[in-house]
Amino acid sequence: MPRGWWTRRANYFWYIVREFTSLPLAVWLLRFLVEVQRAQSGPKGYAPHSSTAFVIFSVICLGFALYHSITFLSLAGVILHFKVLDRPIPSRLVVLSQFGAWAAISAVIAFVLIYFAR
Amino acid sequence: MAAKRITIQATRFDPDKDEKPRLQSYDVPFADESMVVLDALNYIKGHVDGSLSYRWSCRMGICGSCGMMVDGVPKLTCNAFLRDYWPKPITVQPLNNFPIIRDLIIDMDDFMEKLKSIKPWIIRKQELPLGAGEHRQFTPQIDEFRQFSQCINCMLCYAACPVYGLNDGFLGPAATALARRYNLDSRDEGLKQRLPMLAEAEGVWECSFVGECSVVCPKGVDPAKAIQQTKLDTTMRFVLPYGNRD
Repeated sequence: MPRGWWTRRANYFWYIVREFTSLPLAVWLLRFLVEVQRAQSGPKGYAPHSSTAFVIFSVICLGFALYHSITFLSLAGVILHFKVLDRPIPSRLVVLSQFGAWAAISAVIAFVLIYFAR
Repeated sequence: MAAKRITIQATRFDPDKDEKPRLQSYDVPFADESMVVLDALNYIKGHVDGSLSYRWSCRMGICGSCGMMVDGVPKLTCNAFLRDYWPKPITVQPLNNFPIIRDLIIDMDDFMEKLKSIKPWIIRKQELPLGAGEHRQFTPQIDEFRQFSQCINCMLCYAACPVYGLNDGFLGPAATALARRYNLDSRDEGLKQRLPMLAEAEGVWECSFVGECSVVCPKGVDPAKAIQQTKLDTTMRFVLPYGNRD
């Protein structure tokens, strides 16, 4: 395989982008775990990074997380095959249910964070 | 009006003379809108250079012999119309990810070994006597595996798969699709015999879901789906108490 194989076709390129998103996300999550560990010692120990560079990095990571999640959930219809009353559920319905569950779980987490932060 | 012509740049490689493959250009008349790349290759072989070597047989997308890289994309050359490329020249190369034997002919031994390893035939624990009658199947049971049974072993999916290109130990798309075809067949009882090949690290778990295998399949088979569903099945067999069925 030539070193630049992933530049030969758009699908290869976007596949590599999808895989690459894991790296910055892992860095961001490690940083987040450090913050959680610090928060155990109370509000004084909690000092989230607030520099402009980290905010920009976080926004980029959010974009990567959304891209990775959307591509992953869109594929759920390919992988999951359920039957109800011996009839297969259409893959589009499976995908929609995945996105619905994602939205619902995100809403619950947002509610908990916002409600308890007050 | 002068007849239309098209340039075909075909890979030439003679292992006895050439160090590496090279491209050679041929000027081919494009007389008929229904002409395909295979027709152009046949014209070259018949009228210009009889030494050009390539595989083909049925000329109707059934045998799976004439798979080649057409402008860098794995295609059956009997299904790649010149009108879709004209007036630009067309580059025809042997399928990616396989050793070249000569010109446009690849060595398919690795694929044949992999195909054999997943036992692509119906396995019964105990054969019934002929007098016991046929193994009956109903339409919903056939629908379970019908799509995967359309595979014609053309190997375009292997040429499109960068995972196979990087690691030729990977079982690959078509072999997995055919394993799934038989595992889903209500007459088959060979799942446990195929599982060792499918569930090992270089089986389905090597796939990182690029998805190009399904994009290039000329028969509408979805090998990526077969691989991901097999991943799910093997996981369920491992984690669920009732999953370890035959």
